Amino acid sequence: MRKITFLVLSLTLIVAGTVFANGQQEKDKEIVLKWPSIWVGEDSKAGVVAQLVEQFNADNAGMIKVEVEAQPDYDGYEQKIRTSIAAGIVPDIFTMKLNPTTKAYYDSPLLMDFSKELSTGWGKDFNEGTVAQATVNGMVKSLPYEVAITPVWYNMDLFKKAGVSKYPRTYAEFLDAAAKLKAAGFIPTSQMTGGSNAWTSMLWYSHFLASFGGPDVYANPFGTDAYVKAAEVLLAMYSDGNTSMDAIGGDAGVSGGHYLAGESAMFINGPWYIGRVKTEAPAVYSATEVGPAPAAGSQKGAMIGFLQTNFAAAANADDPEKAAAAVKFIKWMTKAENVAKISAASGAMFAVKYDSSSISDELMGKFINASNDASFTIPHLEGVVTSDVITEFGQALGKMALGEATPKEFVEMLKKVQDQ
Amino acid sequence: MKVFLNTLKWIILIFFLFVALYPLIWLLLASFKANNLELQQNPFGFPEKWMFINYYNAMVKAKLPSLFIHSIIVAFSAVFLNLLVASMTSFVISREDFKGKNVLLTVIAAGILLPIISFMVPYFTIIQKMRLYDSLLALIIVYSAINIPISVFLLTSFMGSIPVELEEAATIDGAGFVQRFTKVIIPLSQTGLATAGTFCFIYSWNEFIMALLLTSSESSRTLQLGIRFFTSQFVTDYTAMYAAIVITIIPSIVVYFIFHNKIISGLTAGAVKG
Repeated sequence: MRKITFLVLSLTLIVAGTVFANGQQEKDKEIVLKWPSIWVGEDSKAGVVAQLVEQFNADNAGMIKVEVEAQPDYDGYEQKIRTSIAAGIVPDIFTMKLNPTTKAYYDSPLLMDFSKELSTGWGKDFNEGTVAQATVNGMVKSLPYEVAITPVWYNMDLFKKAGVSKYPRTYAEFLDAAAKLKAAGFIPTSQMTGGSNAWTSMLWYSHFLASFGGPDVYANPFGTDAYVKAAEVLLAMYSDGNTSMDAIGGDAGVSGGHYLAGESAMFINGPWYIGRVKTEAPAVYSATEVGPAPAAGSQKGAMIGFLQTNFAAAANADDPEKAAAAVKFIKWMTKAENVAKISAASGAMFAVKYDSSSISDELMGKFINASNDASFTIPHLEGVVTSDVITEFGQALGKMALGEATPKEFVEMLKKVQDQ
Repeated sequence: MKVFLNTLKWIILIFFLFVALYPLIWLLLASFKANNLELQQNPFGFPEKWMFINYYNAMVKAKLPSLFIHSIIVAFSAVFLNLLVASMTSFVISREDFKGKNVLLTVIAAGILLPIISFMVPYFTIIQKMRLYDSLLALIIVYSAINIPISVFLLTSFMGSIPVELEEAATIDGAGFVQRFTKVIIPLSQTGLATAGTFCFIYSWNEFIMALLLTSSESSRTLQLGIRFFTSQFVTDYTAMYAAIVITIIPSIVVYFIFHNKIISGLTAGAVKG
């Protein structure tokens, strides 16, 4: 009996080793490009992106084949890309958020520099300034693709029910509106300290930084007056019932959930959230307007805008055909009509020039107006500091919200990590 | 006083039973809720309508059946490979006399203390060099290797508690080194093997980060990656994800129930002399 068990288990091992060890098999001639993609599964871009890949593969049958490796878990995906690059192996095609941490990838010779390709005319396809944002030391090792603005979403139905006729444009108006909203049983703002970056609150903080520090706030040394004043306002958002009890420790599901449920009146997120509000909470969708955060400082009408996702590729210096195939595919993905398709389906905004007239979504139109109406635009805090500062942001914010740190101490905690 | 202590004991036990079981019950209820909104508005109550479709979605959308088979192949193969290596190592360390065997055991067992994240880059590099990336074999090798420290630690302790006289009797009857291992020690170590094997199985079944790192295509993905199918960068379908989680934890619970007596006796073996 034992011998049989041993035999069966050995056989299982051999079968697993031979039948399933298929990852490294290569087909003759056809160039296979592996693309670990986050635009899969439940993602709003998944369907159109899959169609575009399929069409590209059909158009290039026998020559190039793009194989999508589904990576729905974004945190895990980032971890995988980091580990791959640390091990000296770069996926053929991938996407990344460009921030001070990932800018370190530019030092790697394993990543393709698109600057030469862009100079041949391709660069004109992109909106002004976006390629410059992705340029480090003259190299463009990640190509701007998806961009975003993150205005405040506000539910006008709740404002009206609370007796507030217009959205607060100043901090004083905000406090007045918040008091009325609370009296009517609503939560004034959605906040969160959890997740890997305390996303919603980090965006509120970025808006307040813009209001106190103006367009050049990030040029000032970290921890200056604007940072502390913005922290004081953020603390006020966590005080006196201006946000929900579960905001401390809550993640994006919590902050977004209160808005979707029609419980909170103000919330911040990007255009990718439009689809979800539309399907899960149509009444909230109809009542939603977007705009800048109430001006807490002297600067009014500021907007947070940034490169959301950039395309990158392996340099494949020893395989120029493969490198050219990767460029061909990325060019396909950045074609105006293809970008328009993804935008129309998902509500996402892009760094590529495209005809947005096909976008009929009402809320998306409000996003575009908010972007056009902005007095100036700055990136969010996450885009200008290293990832460890953002990890600390949520921790420090939780501490401040619980009364264990003052706004000044909150900023000092971030500065300490930044200085390290 | 005795009644008071007895009552207190039961209160404490019931409290910890509640703490241990509540998350599982919550998970089960959440897996039947309609959508994220209901989860948000009614996080602790029963579902308004029992949504069995969540389980259907979990099975179909995330392709759980094929991932289930992959997980079974990986987990059982990893257990087999792990026990094969760990039992031979433990036999030598616990039954043979040689210089530095305690140092050897300490070095191997120290692996228990190392965080998995520290292995990520080296394992990724090794698997790439072996050209095993995106294969089930990669996961089998890595999972069995990661569990060697804990298995050797448990088995060495267990084998050390087997009376030497049994081996001596076998030697007198003509048993050699290999026969002492296969005919005496292994049959008497079944409890220890079951304990180490269960630990390895549960680890291999639940592991996520190495599976994410070392595989890419559907042909080599495991259940834990399938669960993440319901999350995306900005949106998570929690109810379907919870349904998938409920499905995936069943085998772990079954394995534990089958072997729990052996696990307890395996863990306590060698704890006392006599």
